[in-house]
Order: sequence, then C-alpha cells, then structure tokens
Amino acid sequence: MPYNAQAGVIGSATHAPITGGKRSLEEILYDVGQAALADAGLTFEDIDGIAVAANDQLDGRAISVMAASGSVGGVGRDILSTPSAGEHAFVLGILRVASGQYRTQLIVSWSPTDVGSIPDALRLGNDPYFHRRLPLDDFSSNALQAAALAGAVPEAHELALSIALRNRRNGARAYPESAKLSAQADAISKSRVTHWPVREAMIAPPVTGAVALVIASENYIKERRHDRVAWLKGMGWATEAAFLGDRDLTTAPALESARERAYEEAGITDPLDAFDVAEVSDATPYQELLAYEGLGLCTRAKWRERIGDFQPGGRLPVNLSGGATCINPVFCTGLMRIAAAADQVRGTARNYQAANVRTALAHAASGFAMQYQTVVVLGAEGPRSHA
Amino acid sequence: MKTPRIGIIGIGQSAFKPRRDDANYPDLVREAVRLCMQDAKLDFDDIEAVVYSLSPDAMVGIGNAERLGIDAVGARNKRFLRINTGGSTGISSVAAAYYHIASGACDVVLTAGADKVGECGDSQTVLNKIWDPTYERPLPLGTISMLAMSAVRYMHKYGMTEIDMARVVVKNREHAALNPNAHLCKRTSIDEVMGSRYISWPIKLFDCCPQSSGGCAMVLASERYIRERNLDAVWITGVGHCSETYYIGDRMGTGYTADHADAFALGNSFKRAYRMAGITEPQKSVHVAELYAPFSNTEFHAIEGAGLAGLGESPAQTAEGRFSIGGAIPVNPSGGTLCTNAIAVTAMVRVAEAALQVSGRAGGHQVKGARVGIANGNGGDHQFFGTMVVEA
Repeated sequence: MPYNAQAGVIGSATHAPITGGKRSLEEILYDVGQAALADAGLTFEDIDGIAVAANDQLDGRAISVMAASGSVGGVGRDILSTPSAGEHAFVLGILRVASGQYRTQLIVSWSPTDVGSIPDALRLGNDPYFHRRLPLDDFSSNALQAAALAGAVPEAHELALSIALRNRRNGARAYPESAKLSAQADAISKSRVTHWPVREAMIAPPVTGAVALVIASENYIKERRHDRVAWLKGMGWATEAAFLGDRDLTTAPALESARERAYEEAGITDPLDAFDVAEVSDATPYQELLAYEGLGLCTRAKWRERIGDFQPGGRLPVNLSGGATCINPVFCTGLMRIAAAADQVRGTARNYQAANVRTALAHAASGFAMQYQTVVVLGAEGPRSHA
Repeated sequence: MKTPRIGIIGIGQSAFKPRRDDANYPDLVREAVRLCMQDAKLDFDDIEAVVYSLSPDAMVGIGNAERLGIDAVGARNKRFLRINTGGSTGISSVAAAYYHIASGACDVVLTAGADKVGECGDSQTVLNKIWDPTYERPLPLGTISMLAMSAVRYMHKYGMTEIDMARVVVKNREHAALNPNAHLCKRTSIDEVMGSRYISWPIKLFDCCPQSSGGCAMVLASERYIRERNLDAVWITGVGHCSETYYIGDRMGTGYTADHADAFALGNSFKRAYRMAGITEPQKSVHVAELYAPFSNTEFHAIEGAGLAGLGESPAQTAEGRFSIGGAIPVNPSGGTLCTNAIAVTAMVRVAEAALQVSGRAGGHQVKGARVGIANGNGGDHQFFGTMVVEA
C-alpha cells in the first residue's frame, strides 16, 4: 500500500429508489448524509471534510455542489466537489484521509430524475459540432459498445441474457420492496429492443437516488474502536480517450490500468479466488461481461465456461445487490457498487449479505461506454498496527 | 504525522484575451499544458495522474466537458478526475492534485484547465443558474448583483466609499500593465472608474472583471521526486478550504449564520492554511498575495479574510499604498482576477502567480524579495473558499 495513512469505510447509506417527490434535493441529501453518519455512530461534528459528486445537467443547476453546502454539513467545513463521476468523490475522500491531514470524510453523491429528458441532458456531453447531432448518450453509447462486443464475441448476446436474469433475481432478494422488475427469463429475452442489442428488461429505468459513505483514518478507527470497517486495500482509476471513435469499444484498457493499480496495491494475483464477492458495474449486461475480462476474472474465451462461477453461492458471487440492472440512479450507480461492496465486508448488507466476506471487489464505471473506470479492493483485515 | 512536502515544478498559462477564435476548447487546454510541460521539462510519460479544472459545464456549453479535454491533458488510461467548486475550482484542483501526492498515491500530478468565458454568450445568464430554481433564481441574481449586496453591507458596516473601490481598480490595472498575460492591462484613473456606468450599484463597469479566454496548468511533485532529480520547486506549505451557506438570505437580516460583509469562511480557510504553514502573524510573514477578487469591493474582503488587515481597515490601507507593488504586502501584483477572469482556471492562476513571485520568476510585476506568498479562490455564491500558502 502506497498510502501515508490507512483508511476504511465505517458507515454507508444508499437511498434508492427515492419515490413520491415530496422531499426537496436538500432534504434528500440531508437524510442520506445523516443515515451514513448514524451508521458510523458519528455526527457532523466528527467530520473533517466532505467530498461530493453531482452532475449539473441532471441537477438542472450550474455548480450543483452548491445546493449541498448546508444539507451535508458543509457550512464552516472543508468541502470539495467532483462532477466527473459519483465514484470519484470516494477517490477524493480516500486520498484526503490517506494524506494524514484528515481523520474523517463524508462522501455523498446523488442523481435526480426531475430533468425533462435524461437522454437529452446526457447528450449535451457531446461536442457541439461533430457528435451532438447524433443520438449519443450513456444508453446509446453503451449499446454501441454492446454491439461491438457482440460483433467480436457473438455468444455475448446469450451471456448478456443470463447476466441480466441473474442480476434481476439477485435484486429481487436484495430489495424485495423496491426491485419489482421482471426476473423471468422469457420476459427479458422477449422484451423490446430499446437500443440494439440492449433490451428493455436488461436495464432498469432511471430512478432518483443518493449514496453516502463515511471514511475514517486508521488512528480514528482505533481511537473510536470501530469494529465494522471495510479497509481500503487497493484503489485504481483511469479514463478512456475523449472520443468514442478513438476507442476500440470491444476492449477496456482504462479498466485494465485501474485494475492493475488496485490489485498491485492490494497484493491480488489471482482475483477469481482472492475475492469473496464482487460488485461489478452493469450499465448493461454487456458492460458487465466486458468488465469480467478487464477485472481479470476471466478472459472472453472462458466467459461461457465461467459465468456460472458468478452466481450466488458460486466461486465469486457477483452483484448480489442486483446491480444497476435492478436499481439505476444514473450518476451514482458507481458509488452504489462501492457502498454495496463495503456493506458486504462490514456485514451490513442485510438481505444480500454473503457469509464470511473478508475481501470484496468493487468496480465502478461512468460516462459514455464506460469512459471512467474505478476499481476498489476492500478488506476486513485492518493494518497490522490495528489488528 | 509529519506532513510530506509537495512542490510546484511547472507552470503554464495563456496570454488571456476576450476571445480565442484561433483555438477551440481542447486547444486552449493543450496550450496551457504545453507551456507547463516545457516549464517542468517533463514528458507525458512522467505524469501519473491528472486533475482537471473546470467550473460550470454551461460556461463552455458542453456537459462533462472535461471528457473533451482528456487527450489535451494526456490522460488516456491514466488516473483522472475533475474538480468543480465554481470560481474556486482552480485552487481546489491544485489542492486535489496536492492530495494525490500527499496520500502517497502519486509522485507527479498535472492539473490543468481552460475557459472561454468571453465566448459563452452571457456569463451572468449562466451564473444565474447556480441558484435554487424555486427560491432565489427568479430574482435578478448574478454574481455581480450578489456581490453588490455584499458591497452595500460592507459600506454600511465599515464606511467604504465608491472611491475606495475605484482605488482598487486603479492599483490592479497599474499592476496588470506590467503583466503580459493580463486581459485588461490598460492603466486607468479614479475619474475614469467613477465615470463608468453602473452595472449593479455600487459596482460600476470598471469595478468588474472581464470575461476572459485562456488556460492554466501546473505540475506538482513529491519532495522525494524533486530531490532525486535536483529540481527547482516552490513548496506548498498550507492548504485550506471552507464553505458558507448556499442561500444568500442566510447571510442577511436577523439571525443570519454569517455576515455577508465579512466572508467568515474565507477567514477560516486562511486560518487552516496558515496553521498548516506555521504562520501565526500573516502581516509579518506574507510577502505577496494573489487574492481572488472579481469585483473591486471583494478585494477588501479578501485582504481582511487573509488577515493582512483588520476588518474594515483595508480601504484606508489600500489608499496608503500598502497593497501596491512597492508597498508592504503587494496584493494582486499580476492585476488579479479584476483584470483577468477565465473562471475555470482563475483561482489556479492565483496559485501560479504566487508561485512565480516567490521563485523570482514573475518578470515585470515581480515583488522584490518575495519568499512567502498566499493565494485564494472563491466559488459558488461567495460560498467556497480555497486558500494556499507557497514558499520558495
């Protein structure tokens, strides 16, 4: 581990889907921040710094962090904001605690659905001259990647159906009260194609959601005697090229870069057996499939052979939370994956808790066709000085 | 724990202009990066991570516009994220780059960005969208009217006059005339400032910053990396951030959480940076200051928030020349934000200029003997305050 101070997750809260429309954004952020602090047994007074992530286009506000100032306890405190990805707030928070200059960080990301058209809002991410006329958004770019992948590996269509089915079944167990989407094989395979080859039932409709995590330093954790900690073991993040046309969408080189760094820091050499659970970004099942290779879990030549390993009870259960296939707060799905992995390590994953989780993998991807890639390894074993 | 030392080893900034029709947005970012990499004498392979500095997307008219700059900053397959804290984005980005290194994750980090404020149509229309859509956005709020209210409060509380404000403009334009990168670099007079039209009373046209286009980039490195290669560096010895309320109304009337005249969060942010740098008496320790002040009246907030003068004392001390080049503590020798404002990187330029000053590389606007400099950035609705101490 290269870090000057060790850090761990000591609290989390995921509020998604948020329905009813009766709470303002500030109330939503206040509630999720308070829930994460309560989970950690802390109050705002214990927080040294805050890192938030939000998207101006989805929020309908310029400098969307501004609205969070009061509701996440930012007044009089040190708050930084990243709009590039929800998971980047986690990266920032870890870096700040790892610097030894902060004892605690509150991480918050959110994604509302009030905007008239989410695809139109996301389409603004294209340059105005060459690409904005195209119907390019997160959904269509993911479909382009899916089509490219299926062109290279035709069995990807069949495998994508099985991944969607597994995630839907996992989601029905994890969130029986809210994940009410179809978990029947026929319903998925026969649902209409929205962006070829992605079918309607392979993805979940966007929902409003908010995620918060509390990160603390080793010394703070030791002093407060926290016993439910997901320790950071390794972290990598990287970006693909700016334009889709400059990329081979059947590969994920930025994910490989992020994975190499995270695994090197964590000392992971055999990922398939090193992790007890994994939360893998699943914008569509095709992206999850590609991530298996990028994360070093199995090469595309072995996808069919190994896909059963990722079932509940298998060699490496993947997305026991159901993933974004079941609950999709667009901008903070990446941070949700990290929160879900941390919950598994901390033993707080409720309905989807796996037994004896000592090490978990979280993969977050954001932007057009997984432009931003983040890999986080979390573990139950603290640093030696703490153990 | 001993705080690891982190140094600035490269700086690049554009010659800021009202328009840059010759360069598209990524070109402008690349221009600053190229200058910075030349200054640092590094190749892109040496850069381990990039922090991208960009404030509201709407200013460049592209959602998540940092994605378009990925190749311009050489970030492909590298660690990359963007910071946005409004006007303070630039200094927040330097701080984020600092944490990349202070954490031990990286040894060499590039932070870069650019803006085309002069080409966005109307920045105040964009900036009205920073407020809550229900309560404050329907008001004619822009950053000018917002800070005009702050000026009125400061006038009421401390007796500032419009001539006091004009003195800041004259001083900063005098400084900018010495800086080839400044956007507004024509000298002016109190009469000319006072004769300019009102934009939002008491702020007149000449009390306002311009809308600038240009970029800025910096390379930061760990002390180990700097020592091993025997590089010249300016050390970042203090870093602070602090935030105020979102709603302007919470800074006014009875029961306010903070007085709109005093920028308490800026003061707190500087206190944090000074504490980290071991500075207890800034008026004695600081040799030069690059303080974010897009309107003449806000320079008084900044000077007092930085502890370079007591509350309400800075107008008189400005009149005495204390903050001019040649004075005790020159403030904004580059001409400051009042003369150049490419919002996404303005606060980074403050750090860059302070670093150039303490390394004796500021050229025509060099403050003699400067060894300790400070910088800050203000973002949101005078809400986010980033501060930094740099030393030779």
